[in-house]
Amino acid sequence: MNPLVFSRRAFLGKAANGLGHVALSSMLLPALARAASGTQPDAADMAAFRSIAPKAKRVIYLFQSGGPSHVDLFDGKDALEKLHGSNLPDSVRGGQRVTGMTSGQSSFPVVRPIAPGKRCGPAGVWISDLLPYTQKIAGEICVIRSMHTEAINHDPAITLINTGSMQLGNASAGAWVSYGLGTENANLPAYMVLISQGTGKNPDQPIFSRLWGSGFLPSQHQGVILRAGADPVLYLDNPPGVSREQRRAQLDDLEKLNQRFADEVGDPETLARIHGYEMAFRMQASVPELTDLSGESQETFELYGPESRKPGTYASNCLLARRLAERGVRFIQLFHRGWDQHIAITRQLPNQCRDTDQPSAALITDLKRRGLLEDTLVLWGGEFGRTVYSQGALGSAVAGRDHHGRCFSIWMAGAGIKGGSAVGETDDFCWNITKDPFHIRDLNATMLNQLGIDHHRLTYPYRGLDQKLTGVEPAKLIAPALA
Amino acid sequence: MVGLKQPMIRSLRILPILLALPAAGAGELAFNKDVRPVLSKTCFTCHGPDAAAVKGKLRLDLRDLALKGGESGKPAIVPGKPEESEIIRRIRSTDPDDVMPPPEAHMTFTSRDVEVLTQWIREGAVYEGHWAFQTPAKAPVPDIPSAGEHPVDRFVAARLAAEKLGFSPEADRRTLIRRVFHDLTGLPPSPAEVRAFLEDTSPNAYESMVERLISSPRFGENFAVAWLDASRYADTNGYSIDGGRHQWLWRDWVIKSFNDNQPYDRFLIDQLAGDLLPGATEQQIVATGFNRNHAITHEGGTIPEENLVNYAADRVKTASEAFLGLTMACAQCHDHKYDPISQRDYYRFFAFFNTLDDAGLDGNAGQNARPSIKASSCLATATEAETVRRELEAARTALAAPLPEAQQRWDADRRADLANRGRGFSLVPLEVLSATAPNGSPDRIRIGEDHTVSIAGGDFSAYNVLMRLPAAGPPLRGIRVVFSATPASKGKLGFGSAKGLEGNFHLGTITSSVSTFAAGNVDLNAILPITRLSASSVQPGHDVWNVLNSDPLVGWAPRTGAAGPEHLTLTFEAPLQSSATPYLTTELLFNFGANTSPASFRIFGFVGEDDGARDPEDITAILLTEAATRTPEQAAALQAYFQRIAPEKAADRSRVDNLQERLSMLTAKHPVLVMNTSAKPRKTHILDRGVYSSPKEEVSPGSPEALPPLSLDPSFDKASGSFKDRPANRLDLALWMVRPDHPLTSRVAINRIWEHFFGRGLSASSADFGSQGQWPSHPELLDWLATDFREKGWDRKHLIRMILTSRTYRQSSDASPELLKRDPRNELLARGPRFRLSAEQVRDQALFVAGLLAERLGGPSVKPYQPGDLWRQVSHYGSSPATSQTFVQDHGEKLHRRSLYTYWKRTLPPVNLSVFDAPNREICSIGRTSTNTPLQALVTLNDTQFVEAARSLAATVLLASHPSDAERLRAAFEAVTSRLPVPDEAAILDAALKRERNRYQADPAAAGELLSIGETPRPPSIPAVEHAAWTQVAATLLNLSETITRR
Repeated sequence: MNPLVFSRRAFLGKAANGLGHVALSSMLLPALARAASGTQPDAADMAAFRSIAPKAKRVIYLFQSGGPSHVDLFDGKDALEKLHGSNLPDSVRGGQRVTGMTSGQSSFPVVRPIAPGKRCGPAGVWISDLLPYTQKIAGEICVIRSMHTEAINHDPAITLINTGSMQLGNASAGAWVSYGLGTENANLPAYMVLISQGTGKNPDQPIFSRLWGSGFLPSQHQGVILRAGADPVLYLDNPPGVSREQRRAQLDDLEKLNQRFADEVGDPETLARIHGYEMAFRMQASVPELTDLSGESQETFELYGPESRKPGTYASNCLLARRLAERGVRFIQLFHRGWDQHIAITRQLPNQCRDTDQPSAALITDLKRRGLLEDTLVLWGGEFGRTVYSQGALGSAVAGRDHHGRCFSIWMAGAGIKGGSAVGETDDFCWNITKDPFHIRDLNATMLNQLGIDHHRLTYPYRGLDQKLTGVEPAKLIAPALA
Repeated sequence: MVGLKQPMIRSLRILPILLALPAAGAGELAFNKDVRPVLSKTCFTCHGPDAAAVKGKLRLDLRDLALKGGESGKPAIVPGKPEESEIIRRIRSTDPDDVMPPPEAHMTFTSRDVEVLTQWIREGAVYEGHWAFQTPAKAPVPDIPSAGEHPVDRFVAARLAAEKLGFSPEADRRTLIRRVFHDLTGLPPSPAEVRAFLEDTSPNAYESMVERLISSPRFGENFAVAWLDASRYADTNGYSIDGGRHQWLWRDWVIKSFNDNQPYDRFLIDQLAGDLLPGATEQQIVATGFNRNHAITHEGGTIPEENLVNYAADRVKTASEAFLGLTMACAQCHDHKYDPISQRDYYRFFAFFNTLDDAGLDGNAGQNARPSIKASSCLATATEAETVRRELEAARTALAAPLPEAQQRWDADRRADLANRGRGFSLVPLEVLSATAPNGSPDRIRIGEDHTVSIAGGDFSAYNVLMRLPAAGPPLRGIRVVFSATPASKGKLGFGSAKGLEGNFHLGTITSSVSTFAAGNVDLNAILPITRLSASSVQPGHDVWNVLNSDPLVGWAPRTGAAGPEHLTLTFEAPLQSSATPYLTTELLFNFGANTSPASFRIFGFVGEDDGARDPEDITAILLTEAATRTPEQAAALQAYFQRIAPEKAADRSRVDNLQERLSMLTAKHPVLVMNTSAKPRKTHILDRGVYSSPKEEVSPGSPEALPPLSLDPSFDKASGSFKDRPANRLDLALWMVRPDHPLTSRVAINRIWEHFFGRGLSASSADFGSQGQWPSHPELLDWLATDFREKGWDRKHLIRMILTSRTYRQSSDASPELLKRDPRNELLARGPRFRLSAEQVRDQALFVAGLLAERLGGPSVKPYQPGDLWRQVSHYGSSPATSQTFVQDHGEKLHRRSLYTYWKRTLPPVNLSVFDAPNREICSIGRTSTNTPLQALVTLNDTQFVEAARSLAATVLLASHPSDAERLRAAFEAVTSRLPVPDEAAILDAALKRERNRYQADPAAAGELLSIGETPRPPSIPAVEHAAWTQVAATLLNLSETITRR
């Protein structure tokens, strides 16, 4: 028998009967075509890097774009009350380079957190009163106050945290995970991206497809944007005047014609294409089902807050993130803009917090009660922190904080993460790390580790190097955060 | 079924290795082919060229040092004696403290690797220099007469014979002509061209077809694409803000270089050093744009010195990968791990690209980053200019042609609208809760007690005003914005200083959304549609409807000099229901960077009908005059105005606009980023760890030590690698790259040309000829072609002719399961090449077979269909004067240009191209991977561009004089696939046609909907049901796997 001849029905029958982790690829199936084009690791490579018992099946990354202020949100301390208004000592500043926006300032007055906070959860982690809902889930999350990055401006910093390098051209974390693990749901892309704009600052720093791009990895691993409104995935909808039944008949025709062609010339790529068209057809049903929130209860909407009913908001995207997780999407990334509080931080930051606090906490609560939190890794954080000193005159309504890379705070929750804990400490000025520093590559190593991937071994050959998400510098796990 | 899969996977994993490597023990090993890859991959990281990283003082990349051994004192390698060689003992060790590589390196030897090293040492441990660093030479052409005379075939046949395989038969003529058309022009042949080729029985029919296509202007357009990828060409600056730039003149230069068959050495020299040539022409300077295609930032806060290092580093990366196949970028922070390139070599190379007058923060507001010149397009011809002038004349005549019926309808509508205006109109005050600007100080924006928002001067751009709708009363029909002078503006309406707008303001865009909660920003996902617009007055050239266009540079201004309040009134499509959505947010975007903010404005709601007129006052006055009593001047003014705004004239208007732009491209000078040399060039230092702020030793420009010396001139000092009397410059570097004994340049060049035709290079890693690169499948052929290429004067078209006339190229690509299993990647070339068309080719082909393709050579980039305004959702829109923050679609022929002219925004490249694996052009990209995904299916099935193409293809078929459906189907099938359908296929399509016909007969409205996709007018003579049914059949054809496969 010609091994190339297998019918679509047989093919789909198999696909429908649980792809599990054997489904090597999210986007195409025939092994032949895949091996020939190298778009997914082969079984031996996969065995090598999937050498760790996985805690997480998927990741939800709540990315807060712009640089949330760690000083105000998670790293407030009593000492700042006394230091408020004093000049940041040179000994602390340690010659750190400062962005062009405040390098000309004559003084660097320390500013205490703009709102009080509380010690929360079993570890007594300080969390701002601007985040009352997050305070309530303190028992579920691990706050890491000792993240650091070399980058001090948005483009390099956001590129570094999303792709593991400040240089252009690298693959995003989500693309790596798609490459390494594929999908659990063949009817949806393995990596989906949702974008929202905060009310703190509009428009804030741009974001761009590089952040969810595939870089040097095959393009099928790039994040697919799930948009609000009609056509949530670009080109998803049939043209007006073409019904789903019509499309079905058309695809049946295409299958017959393509199958004949594949048989005649021996083309595995065409078999893969037949499958791709079928997946496209199923996506046309699975995406609207995914984005249709009409079956969500009133109580659920209340949990996520009033904005969750409004497509395109952070709250709505958090609710969608849970639905994506339920449907086995491997890497779900929200990008929420608006955290770049150079000016008017006292006006802007509370707005940003109001956008994000309740929905973020609701997502944790919702995942937990549905039994999803135990195998979902949730991350909350941005590309860097903000300076303890005032950008602009102390106390002015227009004052803000500049970028700060020497330390910043993020939180993680879920799969194998020690809830109710905190990792790392900074000095009295929230300026330098005094305990347990962790770099972005450590964060990436940890994320991969929770997914059961040895970050040393998930590699892709490109330009003479076995490229890795964690790069060439040694990376370590954020061990204190792991249960 | 299922059982079959596993063995197939397994055999595929092993087979390529078997192909590449004889079983250890069978025959002598070759160092470069068999041994170096093992050492490079597993050992060189710690025992290779990176001096700083060497562990245990042991190096294995050099034989002397390997024989001597490291700090253990034991020889790592004892030639002939693997059992005495420390390296073998250590890699065989099972003690974790002893074994190599150590466990923490996370690398392992396969048992095959161990066998290879053992056998190699047994055979004497002979080293060879890295193959790609040795000057290529022509090996004798293998003596295989049965393979014919062609040298390519002889080399390929030799390898096939060794593998006990033979050539496949020649592809049939239909397949062959289609293959050659796609490869040379990027487009399929027309059915007429296919037939002419089939009927041409002359012995050189094939050769003359090749000749014709290689001389076609489409050749350059097709070949330019890969070079645009390698050169990271784009129309925006990249990084985060990604504003627009003007660089298309350089793309024109590339197209012409291919079409003119500029010798490759000149191609290289002009791009690297055109500005340094004696008597450099304008076009030679344009060519240097190659080194300026990199991303450039003006992000506030970034450090100029650091940016300048990034730019130069990108030039190094691109020039070294694109021309030399060297991954020099690896040596920016440390010596190269695998190749003999030191960090010092890197910065000496860097120094060539670090002497220009560029600025660390530049390129804002749509201005090219310096240095930039204005130049003519090399593709401009006087002949085309003459033609375009005539076309423009005709287009203006067409635009001026009266449309009496349409105008009468419009006139009546407008009069009715005027009669109705103001009915039940009254203003409703709105409570302003906040008014903010993204970078504006809150203390400069004030909300007065009467809810007037006033601005204390300044230059902010987007104001977001949040309002609470009144809880009671009838639903609001729309809003009115009333602008007034303030003391801060010295009694003027605004702070404008631009010519014609002195003391005025300029409103670029106004958008609104409603919400259930107090949203400080407009929701871009739910912008309220506007059905009626009026303004109290209009400054000529700043029409009121411009505010609906998201382009911030095009907007409305009231009459300049007006002292009293002026207002703008918007009627929403649906009245606002305050019970459901109590909040309204409106964003007013004023032209940033030009001081065009207003002094103050107040937003009202209104009920009833807007009391304003939709047209300027003078036009309204005419409209209010009975038609019979209008003066001839009034009638003429009204007609002229109607032509300017009539939807019926939209196509004529875009035609005039497009032709005007084309004429400007043909006759005027335009900006382009170029290279120059500063009067005070920056010094280059080795940067510790690659960090801009850690300069170490200063270095002068020079070439890598492991490659031939930079110059043979007597004034060149080999020891220092510098000239005695002057610093080396880019011209020296370019001339060095093309010297006859350079080992890399010609190999890299011919390998990429080969890749174009075979889908993979003779060395598969076409951007890396270093020790981590792939051993070539046919090393002797690669070297033979590289040498011949240089000997024949770097003649690209000569090489292409040679490839295309080979039996190797002309083979059928059909593959038996056995052959597919044996050689899935077709490394042995026992069959012809087969791969999916590129992103550009998939789109261009659809436009071509649909008869839509607008073939114009060169010119500014175009913005064809794109769903929604993706750019605005992620960009800096409203926050800076950068251009290209919002997508404004083009019309007319600019919807149908070849894809290489599509506007390339780096941070959001054209989606229908990137889904088909086009890179984002942020960095040098050589060789695209080819993926196969459901998103591709969604593009070719649902993208407006493809639906419109299907509709146009259907129209073409229906308008031709075919006698029957069967004939029509054959014609459509042949147009798309270049062959005729077999009976099975014809039957499937015929059944589909009948089915679709029934479907649209039952629902003619659906036919109308389908046919409304795309802006190209539909021939009204075709009945809609028939047209829609054929559109579906055409879509099926455009979606055949065969259609997008080049085989």
